[in-house]
Amino acid sequence: MGDFSHLVQFLFSGLTSGSVYALMAVSLVIVYKVSLLICFAQGEFFVVGALTMVTLVSKGLPMPVAFALSVLVAMVLGALVERVLIRPIQHTGVGNLIVMTIAISLALRGSALLIWGKESHILAPFSAGKPIAVLGATLQPQVLWIMGITILVLLVIWLFFEKTTLGVAMRACAENQLGASLMGISTQKAAILSWAWGAGIGALAGMTVAPLLFMQYGSGVMPMVKGFVAMSIGGLASIAGAVIAGFLLGIVEAYTIGLISSQFSDTIVFAILIIVLFIRPSGLFATTGRREV
Amino acid sequence: MKKIFLVIALVVALSLLIGTSSTLLAQAKQPYKIGFIVPLTGYLSWLGEYMKRGAEVQVEMINKAGGVNGRPLELVTYDDQSSPETATRHAQRLISGDKVVAIMGTGTAVVSGAVSSVANKSKVPAVIQSGYALSEKETFTFNNAHPTDFAISRPMMYFQKRGINQIALLMPIGPLGELGSGIARKHAPSFKITILGEEKFDVKAPDVTTQLAKLRTLNPQAIMAFTTGEPAALLARNMAQMGMNIPLVVSHGNATPGFLKLVAQTPTMVIVPSGKIMAVETLADKDPVKKVVVEFNKAYQAKYGEPGNYYSGQQADAVSLIAEGLKVTKSDDPVKLRDAIENTKGFAGNNGVYNMSPTDHQGTRMEDMILLTVKDGKWAVLE
Repeated sequence: MGDFSHLVQFLFSGLTSGSVYALMAVSLVIVYKVSLLICFAQGEFFVVGALTMVTLVSKGLPMPVAFALSVLVAMVLGALVERVLIRPIQHTGVGNLIVMTIAISLALRGSALLIWGKESHILAPFSAGKPIAVLGATLQPQVLWIMGITILVLLVIWLFFEKTTLGVAMRACAENQLGASLMGISTQKAAILSWAWGAGIGALAGMTVAPLLFMQYGSGVMPMVKGFVAMSIGGLASIAGAVIAGFLLGIVEAYTIGLISSQFSDTIVFAILIIVLFIRPSGLFATTGRREV
Repeated sequence: MKKIFLVIALVVALSLLIGTSSTLLAQAKQPYKIGFIVPLTGYLSWLGEYMKRGAEVQVEMINKAGGVNGRPLELVTYDDQSSPETATRHAQRLISGDKVVAIMGTGTAVVSGAVSSVANKSKVPAVIQSGYALSEKETFTFNNAHPTDFAISRPMMYFQKRGINQIALLMPIGPLGELGSGIARKHAPSFKITILGEEKFDVKAPDVTTQLAKLRTLNPQAIMAFTTGEPAALLARNMAQMGMNIPLVVSHGNATPGFLKLVAQTPTMVIVPSGKIMAVETLADKDPVKKVVVEFNKAYQAKYGEPGNYYSGQQADAVSLIAEGLKVTKSDDPVKLRDAIENTKGFAGNNGVYNMSPTDHQGTRMEDMILLTVKDGKWAVLE
């Protein structure tokens, strides 16, 4: 019988990469759901969150406090960005808004460079302990943290957008600004909240996956690209779809590298994206038809 | 009344005379301008910072000691943004606009190659620092970095001594990985080393355990990965996760405080080929490199609160090589300066003892390199 531990390791490797893509994709979908906008600055909120936490932890703050504070910092930053940069141009069309998010992305990356320097930083895993060994393959415990936090985030988001008045109001704004404002909903309040939410989840994603990677001012680019691919495969507005697609992407990559060649992994990933866009342009998990608000 | 005019005229004449003589004096002391292209922003910026510090410290040291031929050195520094296009533009500007006597700088083969090609077209000497392989036609370029061949054969020499003769390669996708793989395969037979297999990886990937698991099935005694920075540290971390207790050799680009911080807590044995500057305390007193490094480190420590490192020392050597050439020729003529640098013999720098010749524009030997590993969060010398 041949040793098959490497086949299990491929799966674990896929889950590890996939967890990074999935959480990033979730943060992109959330912004999209409430503003119908693909925010290209998500990668930078990801970095700002992780690096803020690195700083706070190095100042001696306990992990959970640093975690909560960093999310808060990112939420305030997101709200500020909306108020100062997005609101003045919000009626000029989606094209302008997307370009603005690219500008914000570059500006935030530059600011992160000034604050945290060019060096890579390390964030300790959330729990100490040995890697988990199964059938001769190993998985970092942090990946379980990522999965747990992803599920928690999904639950909180679902409760907020489905069960609270504020959440429903925010979705209404995304659907029909005029209609919502006629119903007495403050569209401005909803917009600022949606940016705070998006930035907060982006930061949370960064902090949660940071122990797997090394974080520096430019670390948001790769997760942003892969997260965007996962989001497109999953259906732009489906949070569960983004999670599944993110993990799938990681696993497909790992098995392509393991069984075929690492040179083909990007080719195969983008081939899958193209096929999905051909067969189901709205994504694998998109809810078809009109959305009920 | 006439007297007053006379006095005024005299004063004016005198002041004019003093004025011209002071400009004459200044002309005699006019600095030698050295063009310096350095990646201060972009993906190589971590490197650029060390290079800039090293060059500035060396120029200050030379100027404090009276300069070269009584004239101070002056750096004209431009940021190439880690891009060959920008580097090309700046090289042209340094030559035609700033009229520098020589150009130096910049990291990676692609960017420094661009600088080399401008320098050779304009016939101005250039001293670059990278893995760029010089062709015979590039007669005006010197590369004072340790050649990539040394960085790969030096650890192989160590393996042979330790009875390690079966290794695997894990190379980054792209030209750097191709280069590393080719050189490793070229030198392995001379050290009686068998290469069991090779995998490639994406330097941006968040996990490389897939490739490591595949290589593990071949039972290698060591892994060689020609990569720098975060991906190199990730390999070490993933090997520790999988319990692979074999040495990992990474490129000589990793001998920096930044990389040390990334692998300080990782149990994997990481081997980094480097220059003697990283372990000055282990050098014999008769080693000519020791005196150079000690002096450079002292000046560097005074300015930046830490000793110099591989990259800052290497850049300082480029300044010294140009300065030495100017001292010999005593002229600004670029061809004469090139000839002078080409005839540098037995010149001790931070990177080793340089012996240049028309066929060797790099000057150092494999024995000028040492091997570093990490012990208790600090660099330690291997063997």
